[in-house]
Amino acid sequence: MKVNNRRRKKLSKRSVSLFALCVALVLTLAVGYLGMNGAWLDSRGLYKLLPWLPTDDVNNWPQSIALGLDLQGGVYVEYEASMSDEMREQGYNFDVLLSTTMSVISERLTEKGFTEATVSQLGTTGIRVEIPDVTDPAAVLDLIGSPAKLEFLDPDGNVFMEGRHLQTAAPTKDESGVNPAISFTLTSEGAELFGDMTAKSVGKNITIMLDGVELMSATVNQAIYGGNVLVTGSFTQAQVEDICLKLQSGALPLELRQDKLDTISATLGVDALSTSVRAAMIGTLLVMLIMIVRYRLCGVVAAWALCIYIILLFLFIAVVPGIQLTLPGIAGIILGIGMAVDANVVIFERIKEEARAGRPMIHAVRIGFKNAMSAVLDANVTTIIAAVVLLFHGTGSIKGFGTTLLLGVLTSMLTAIVITRFLIQRFVRVFTKTELFVSLRDAQTPTLAKEAK
Amino acid sequence: MKIRNRFHVCLMISAAIMLIALVMSLLGYGINYGIDFAGGLNISYNMGQTFSVDDVSDALSVQGLSGFSVSVSGENGSIAQIRIPQLASEDEIQDLQLALEEALLPSYPNMDTDNATASYVGPVAGATLVRNAVISVLLATALMLVYIALRFDFASGLAAVIGLLHDVFIMLSFMVLLRGVIQMNSSFIAAMLTIVGYSINNTIIIFDRIRENNKKPELAGQARDKVVEVSVRECLGRTINTTLTTLVTIVTLYILGVDAIREFSLPIIVGILSGVYSANLINGHVWALLEQYRVNRKKQGRLKPKKA
Repeated sequence: MKVNNRRRKKLSKRSVSLFALCVALVLTLAVGYLGMNGAWLDSRGLYKLLPWLPTDDVNNWPQSIALGLDLQGGVYVEYEASMSDEMREQGYNFDVLLSTTMSVISERLTEKGFTEATVSQLGTTGIRVEIPDVTDPAAVLDLIGSPAKLEFLDPDGNVFMEGRHLQTAAPTKDESGVNPAISFTLTSEGAELFGDMTAKSVGKNITIMLDGVELMSATVNQAIYGGNVLVTGSFTQAQVEDICLKLQSGALPLELRQDKLDTISATLGVDALSTSVRAAMIGTLLVMLIMIVRYRLCGVVAAWALCIYIILLFLFIAVVPGIQLTLPGIAGIILGIGMAVDANVVIFERIKEEARAGRPMIHAVRIGFKNAMSAVLDANVTTIIAAVVLLFHGTGSIKGFGTTLLLGVLTSMLTAIVITRFLIQRFVRVFTKTELFVSLRDAQTPTLAKEAK
Repeated sequence: MKIRNRFHVCLMISAAIMLIALVMSLLGYGINYGIDFAGGLNISYNMGQTFSVDDVSDALSVQGLSGFSVSVSGENGSIAQIRIPQLASEDEIQDLQLALEEALLPSYPNMDTDNATASYVGPVAGATLVRNAVISVLLATALMLVYIALRFDFASGLAAVIGLLHDVFIMLSFMVLLRGVIQMNSSFIAAMLTIVGYSINNTIIIFDRIRENNKKPELAGQARDKVVEVSVRECLGRTINTTLTTLVTIVTLYILGVDAIREFSLPIIVGILSGVYSANLINGHVWALLEQYRVNRKKQGRLKPKKA
């Protein structure tokens, strides 16, 4: 009676495990199917894995996975900004001017229709501009480099001063300290021109035109010499900021030296992408093969976990905002596949040791995981450290590599530790023969015992 | 004694590789710096057919340029890669491209002028990149040292970092030895940091075993070198399998990949191999030396007060 009971209990445990495995399989297939055929992610478009199969059709790429410039094609420029000695003496804040310069560049690009262009700071004095999908880099560079046409008109409508005479324009407050106002400084030549003109036209209007469109018009109260001008009126803060930005676009507040320029053709990106994806698929299949040959059913579990890893990773890349897939980034993913398996190898070797020491598989798995955990964690943390350094200290595509590496390590910790453990624990209950997991034929006396003699 | 000899032989092999690389660099055959580090202008055109390098060179000479190189690449040999080490001013790029296209189009009507790529790197950018690379590696190394010193002990941290710097120097040395095959560009920094993170994995797995074995009574009286050897051997199965799986993916990438991918994957392959080599044959013994030194110091420290 008692024996019978235990037998039934064992049987039921086995069927529960089998059931759990079936559920896991169905879930994996479902997520895989979803990945292959698409899932609508709100505001980020369609998430699809299927088009990642080698393709030369750019239109088939998943919209939800943002591609870096090196895969998409486009132009990037890096500038080194510097401040003239004159401005330094006048006590201008470099950081403020740098951010103004960046917004001016950004404004210029957006206005001309390059809405996907990004302008970012590079180190402490650099500016990086990325413009995807550009076929004519020369036009874009001219746009960034050459100022908009800013003209100052006297009361009779004649141009008496130009953008080059303006040094800076900044939002400020009027004498009362409450109302928003605009202050601008002029070059010494500009100060002279402006002084002479204002002296002649007290009570009359001076108009500022940007690319032929009136930006603002102001009445002259008095002659203004010295080059420091304050414009007051019934402005809102937003208006003031907008006008200042536009005034600045007549002349960038900082001097820019072009340090780096790269134009990447879209066809080159397509080639790189499709060969990399092909390499990733072949590499993954080879890794799975090696794992199954070396670790039998454990290897099957590792291959299963690897499928989940790939599905999850691309899902994360699609969902986590701000991630761009770059060429080194793809290399990071492929490398991550090899590394994801590393944790499995460490764990399986430990399980093997325990099984060969004569422990039943259920215990071998438990002890194997326990013994391997410290090594797996330490190994992952060091890779995370390297990835974080890349993330914060790299630029452009290197940063993309850091992001995907970090995401890859985190995902692999989830699949290689949590999911693998769950699957293996069910596997050893369903398949009870140790030989299915570990070859015992070449098992030797444990090395330690031999050494101690 | 046998182990010691093997350790010494390995040290000499590594030293020899680094020495050869150093001598080559001093003789002027150093690392083949790509545009990211050396600066200059790279232009590449798909000529639409096989082309004569002389035609392109002539078109460049007419523009008053010198010191440039033109090479053929692409599956059909139809892509012209032009490298101009120095430009008087970066503003010339567009003018130069237009002039080139004008000169070459009559002979090569299928030349793809819309998809030309141009990369320009100013003289200062390369220096900034080197500075950033050195800072990144040092920063990562320092963080590793702190982490391992906390998780293990200071001797382990130091030994691991020595192994890690060994791997970085071996990677740099191979960039010199393979200068005919590979150029160094900014992706090398990513490769280097990947290895900084990855090669230390091997070391940690073995150090973890050493830490475990250190506690075992059977090995209590043994020399530390012996413990290291036992630990390395116990980890061998894992070492072989992991190296295999990682290398399989990255080698596939190298074989199938485009140039930019190769510039990145070859240093990683070198780094992975060097990492396995140093973790198994060097780092443990460095730790044993440091540990022996510490134990001896401790003994001396304990002896002195007794004398006094």
